[in-house]
Parts: sequence; C-alpha cells; structure tokens
Amino acid sequence: MPFARAAARRRCQSDALIEDIVQDALLTIHRVRHTYQPGRPVKPWLVTIVARRAIDANRRWGRLARREICDPTAYETFADPAANKEDAGEATQAVAQMLTNLPPKQKEAIELVKLREMTLAEASAASGQSVGALKVNVHRAIQRIRRGLGREDDA
Amino acid sequence: MSRPLTDELIAALADDASPVKPLAPPLQRGLAALGVLATVAVLSIFSLGDVSGLGTRYLGREALMLAEMGAMLATGVLAVLGAFFVSIPGRSRLWLLAPLPSFAVWVGLSGFGCYRDFVAAGAGGWAAGHSLDCFTFLLGTGALVGIPLFWLLSRARPVDSLPVATLGGLGVAAISAFLLQFFHPFALTAIDLAVHAMAIAVVVAIASLSRRRTLTPA
Repeated sequence: MPFARAAARRRCQSDALIEDIVQDALLTIHRVRHTYQPGRPVKPWLVTIVARRAIDANRRWGRLARREICDPTAYETFADPAANKEDAGEATQAVAQMLTNLPPKQKEAIELVKLREMTLAEASAASGQSVGALKVNVHRAIQRIRRGLGREDDA
Repeated sequence: MSRPLTDELIAALADDASPVKPLAPPLQRGLAALGVLATVAVLSIFSLGDVSGLGTRYLGREALMLAEMGAMLATGVLAVLGAFFVSIPGRSRLWLLAPLPSFAVWVGLSGFGCYRDFVAAGAGGWAAGHSLDCFTFLLGTGALVGIPLFWLLSRARPVDSLPVATLGGLGVAAISAFLLQFFHPFALTAIDLAVHAMAIAVVVAIASLSRRRTLTPA
C-alpha cells in the first residue's frame, strides 16, 4: 500500500484525492488481476494501473472545478434564512427550558402529541388522559410557550 | 475517503477474490490471432481472390508491389501485436511507435505509385476508378477482422483503452488494405487513393470511438 500511495502522490498534488486514487486502483487491480503474469515484476504493472487512475481522478477533479464553485451558503440546512442563524441552538434551549416549566399534564401532552407525533388516541392510551383533556392541555401548553417567547422578545 | 475505508476495501476485495487463470503472454496471444487470421485469409484469397490480376496490375514494377504490400502487412502485424502488448499494464509503450515506420513507407509508396500513374495518365489520373467498391471492401473486411480481434483484446480489460483501440484499428485497416490487393486488380488513381485513406481513417476512428463498448475497459 505505501508503494501505491507513493505512486499516486507522484501524479497528484491533492492529498484529498490520493486515497481516492488508491482505492480506485485497488478496484481496478481486482478486475484485471488476470493480466498479471506470474514471474514478471509486479511494480511496473502496479504503477501503470495507479498512474491511469490518477490521470482519471485529475481529469474528473478538473471537470468538477470548472463547472462547480464553492458556495458556503449551499451547506445551510434550511431554506428559511432565520433557521440557519447561529443562535438557533439558544432558541432550542429556551423552548426546552419552557417545556420543563410547564405543569406535568401539559408537558406530557405536548411531548406525546407534538414532539413524538402520536395520534390523540395513542397519546391517550400512553398517558391515561382523555382525548379531550389532551387537546386542552396541548392548547394551553402552546399558549403558555407563546407567552414565554413573547416576554423574551420584549426583553 | 480515508485509510480505514481503504483497509476495509482491501479486506472486502480479498474475501471476494476467486482464483483466476492468468492470460497468456501478449506475444503468444497476438501470434495466435494472426495465425488464425492468416489461415482464413489464405483460404479466401485462393478461393475468391484474383491473384493473377495483382500480377497484371504491377507488371514491370514488381519491386514496388512487394515493398508496398510488405509495408501494409508489417503495419498490420506490428499494430495488432502492439495492441496486445499495450492492453497489458506495465508493458512497454514503445509498441505504440512500432507500426509507424512501416506505415510511413506504405503511405509514401502508395503516394509515389499514384503520382507516377498520374503523370503517365495525365488528367485521367484524377478519375474515380472503383473507389466505392474499395471503400465497401475495406469497411466490410475491417468488421470481419476487427470484431474477433477486439473481442480478444477486450479479455485484458485494458486500463487505458484509447491506444489499444487505435493500434487495433490501424492493424485491422492495414490488414484489410493488404487483403484488398488480392481482390482489386485495378490501377489506383488519386481519387481512389484518397478514398482508401478515408476508409482507413474511418476504420481507425470507429475502433477508437467504440472502445468503451468493444474493449470494456476496467
């Protein structure tokens, strides 16, 4: 393997590509292993395969570099710009804090129905609350969280 | 990709590696292919060809005929052998150059013969002779010779298929042109020569462009 890596390094400047080239060469060696003649030196056979895969990788990389650009915003997770803000984690923590401040029945209702996405019937079976009570508790919990967020925004 | 993945890949390939029978040496495979081709060609020439017409065509310039046909045959043989060698990783790339001297002699002698006929015949030297027949013969023979040859070459799954296909195509075209001499007892005009050259270029181009399908490179 060090020999194959060295052969790849002689033909490729990018460290990121060398391991790709070595792995491509391994797959090729597996496919053309019947062309190696026992008794002949193995190094020229191996170097030719690695060199060919390095040329292919450099061409592929060149084509990609010509038609693609680096755009950091492409790595953002959500279409809504507000959702990609760095303080999104703080908002999540604030909501989690508000959930802990809810009365136990409301907290249980919102966890089962909204966070775990159970149906009302499933949540009723899991919690022992009636369907009507669940609806009321979810509604009240959301109102309470909204009020809490409103106070934070005002502050 | 990372080194742990490389190690996993090696392990997976080693698990999957069934024993294989190594290919015979390229010289042995190339000579065997040429031997079969020569047998079929000799049988075809003596059953369908016009050997006496060849003598008539080159009457008084037998040396030119021998040199020209020798150059064609040498180009075909060296190009076919070269294709077998280049298809194996690690073999000398000098085989790419092996058919070039004889190819240059072939082109030079054809041009010289054509020029001499043109000078002798005057304006008649520009007339089209049997160009279409020659074109069809070269393409048809090219297919008959090329399909089994490329099947044999594809067994090596060449990692760099373009030189293999180009040499194979040149070999096929040269052998087809050599065989044409036995079925083509007519004097060449400049137009005929141009059509020959075009047919040879078409055979080499088809061989090169279809290499991914015909040679199944690894």
